Amino acid sequence: MSPLGADRAISLAEAAFAVDGADAIEVVITASNSALTRYADSRIHQNTARLDGEARIRAVVDGDRIGVVATNDLSAESIRRAGTAAVEAARVTPRDAAYAGLAQPATYAAAGTLDAATASCSPAERAELVAAMLALLPSGVLGSGAVESARIEVAVANTNGVRAYSDTTRAAASILAAGESSTGFAETTTSRFSELHGESLAERAARKVELGRNPRDVPPGHYPVVLEAAATATLVEFLCWIAFGGRDFVDGRSPLAGRLGEQVCDPRVTIVDDALSPLLPGVAFDFEGVPKRRLPLIDHGIAAAVTHDLATAKAAGVQPTGHGLPAPNPDGGYPLHPMMEPGESTLDDLIGGLARGLLVTRFHYTNVVNPMETSITGMTRDGTFLVEDGRIVGGVRNLRFTQSILAALSAVEAIGAQTEASSELFFGCARAPAVRLSNFQFTSTTTF
Amino acid sequence: MDLAQLADFARDDARTRGVDYADVRAIHTESESIDVRDADVQGVGRTTSRGVGVRVLLAGSWGFASTNSCVEADVRRAVEAAVDIARASGTVRREPVRLDDSPPPAGSYVTPHQRDPFDVPLAEKVEHLLAAAAAGREVAGVAFVEATSDAWKTTTHFRSTEGGSFDQTVLQIGGGLRALAIKAGDVQRRSFPNSFRGQFTCGGWEDIVALDLAGHAAETAREAVALLAAPELSGKQRTLILESSQLALQVHESVGHATELDRILGMERAYAGTSFVEVADRGRLRYGSPLVTITADATTPGALGTFGFDDEGIAAGETTLIRDGVLVGFLTNRECAASIGDRSNGTARADSWGTIPLIRMNNVSLQPQAGDLESIVADTADGVLLLTNKSWSIDDRRVNFQFSCEAAYEVHHGERGRLYKNPSYAGRTTEFWGACDAIGGADDWRVWGVPTCGKGQPSQTARVGHGAATGRFHGITTGVGA
Repeated sequence: MSPLGADRAISLAEAAFAVDGADAIEVVITASNSALTRYADSRIHQNTARLDGEARIRAVVDGDRIGVVATNDLSAESIRRAGTAAVEAARVTPRDAAYAGLAQPATYAAAGTLDAATASCSPAERAELVAAMLALLPSGVLGSGAVESARIEVAVANTNGVRAYSDTTRAAASILAAGESSTGFAETTTSRFSELHGESLAERAARKVELGRNPRDVPPGHYPVVLEAAATATLVEFLCWIAFGGRDFVDGRSPLAGRLGEQVCDPRVTIVDDALSPLLPGVAFDFEGVPKRRLPLIDHGIAAAVTHDLATAKAAGVQPTGHGLPAPNPDGGYPLHPMMEPGESTLDDLIGGLARGLLVTRFHYTNVVNPMETSITGMTRDGTFLVEDGRIVGGVRNLRFTQSILAALSAVEAIGAQTEASSELFFGCARAPAVRLSNFQFTSTTTF
Repeated sequence: MDLAQLADFARDDARTRGVDYADVRAIHTESESIDVRDADVQGVGRTTSRGVGVRVLLAGSWGFASTNSCVEADVRRAVEAAVDIARASGTVRREPVRLDDSPPPAGSYVTPHQRDPFDVPLAEKVEHLLAAAAAGREVAGVAFVEATSDAWKTTTHFRSTEGGSFDQTVLQIGGGLRALAIKAGDVQRRSFPNSFRGQFTCGGWEDIVALDLAGHAAETAREAVALLAAPELSGKQRTLILESSQLALQVHESVGHATELDRILGMERAYAGTSFVEVADRGRLRYGSPLVTITADATTPGALGTFGFDDEGIAAGETTLIRDGVLVGFLTNRECAASIGDRSNGTARADSWGTIPLIRMNNVSLQPQAGDLESIVADTADGVLLLTNKSWSIDDRRVNFQFSCEAAYEVHHGERGRLYKNPSYAGRTTEFWGACDAIGGADDWRVWGVPTCGKGQPSQTARVGHGAATGRFHGITTGVGA
């Protein structure tokens, strides 16, 4: 399937405007061409490609009755049918008191990258990258992971005159190296396939396997830690989920409710949401067509803002921040491009400052324990090490942490100078640096 | 061409390209979600998705391509792309993929139901949810009450180059309510009949009506408000009683995923992880106490993981995973089963036309024994009863887990006592199941739907079921991190 292009995407959206009976209509068109090559035990075992798209129509009748219908058939006729169905649904739906109207026309900054080589990346190129990574693993170490390439188009149009279009690429690679008694992991996400640098990922993962061989037990308890970028990113992702959503803030169930302007963690901590940053694949507008901008969420340790769509912004009496999700969305705005600002330390500096503590590569299957305390639990995996006198002395068996995020970010001793984009299972992606924390609570251990 | 004809067309085209094997799934899915809060409708959305997915095995390597276009030329391009992808897979290969000798499918299946939820007027469904929310909203001190419903109708046309063919329509539905109480930085919630959007089944709108959401709303809201004044459950080793919905999730995380043969063989290692279980453990591993028998059954009436055929064309059936506490089986697909000399037990499912079938739980259920929640409480001298899941976490080999629940009651001398908030418990899988000394009987047993089981890259979401009754476990760590 050829890409839609701006003109066709917008004209498809406008096909729904001809539907009778609506006061206002919003259409979000997406089209994607994505492929993912997955490997395990040093062979490609799953290898997939998908062409898909969606037209999502939000129709408004009688001022505030809303209906939403979506179809992945991107013909103009299908989109018109979906528009008619959305109007019919709106007519029998009670009034939505939270409805705040559709977005007004705006100009949009540049965001994201369209890389032709990534858009046309072939299965052979993805397989070659897998082979290149595997070739760097030592004998007896097997590799597992994924190499991904995608082109994604998004268009938002509404009857107020909003016309927004984005066409970007995304590439990602990961490798988990597995030895007899230890594992190591590295990953990267970017806009260009050529920037994946699989060899350096493989080398990092293999080094952790070597360092972590024959892991020892350490008891649960409170430890000073160095969290590598991926582990820090998990804290950032979960803080976004718990604290920065506009709906939870308005409801009073965000831990930051009533606390904007307060110091909530160490002054060296700044977390922003920035879809316009070249460091993350981004889109310049949200799914309601509101322009995105750099939004400080934690500014030098002070709770600075939460994210709003049109509805929660109206409820909070503020301007929308450009964080609307596809309709219908009862959960309000959400930060999809969070980044923690870097500091000045190298990873060696951070580790060198640990008298006795743990170095964590990444976390696994993290989940919320108590949102109002920002407490979460999860496991370490793929490279957890004991550090003594500033030196890694060996691997340790994995531990479970149960920890308040804001308490952890209040215990910051130093922040790394490099940031990396990381994701954990099903909870999105964030960019963050490594950090050294004076105190982190581990509550139990496991067998490996 | 309609979708069934497109499936035939793609299979025939694949046959001309010299593949070892190909299967085609042409699928049409409708879905709907409704969210209300108090007297307001927060969202009504309906989505239609259709497309064709083509999976080929070429010289022992897999390729898969899919398209949302239902134009012949585009489907032909998808077949061609699948072959190209399989060729690329073959450049990084070890042993060739081999499939088991399962017979090709033939037939059709439709989920038994009375009222197709997509035929029920939208206004009727919205009114049903608004009535439930209103009933809970009358309770003093409650911040708000939310009620939801979800429905999916998935029609699959499967064709394979082995001559396999089936047509299947699965109807899945869910509904529930949630009351929140908020005071001075504390947020408490109670859900009915389960958390995370309620109970889910295979069936029609009648399953939502049968939940009687409005009839349970006030009680649910009252307990949410009461939690604000309740103390936290302190950290201590206790006798733990889990009501059936929480025990169902315990089965899901610590048995269901751990016995997926693709995980055991390392195929999910880099993402969701592997398993502490090894192939050689079958028939030998003491997984739990002799009370623990767990089956995987895709024929359980009305359960969320019930179907006629899996997405490799294996007819629905039942297999035993743990018998009297000993591991005796795995969840398998055709590729993994063949690698250990077995035949697939039919648990390969994809979440759409655009994704490949993975080993997924169907209805993985803890078999009932005797008694019920009240009799187990009456038989407990000192312990704690935990109700309704709030969060879950488990390590990447399914050993160390930690769960939080919405509420807990002290159990003292056989009676329920004080209410506690923010309860949690933790343990290791085989130690935990080994500490099981009571499981409720058939009258206490219920199949719970879990509609959001994540696995795979690209990430897929499966809707699965778990039967469970009340369970009791001795010497469990409770009140973690409190």
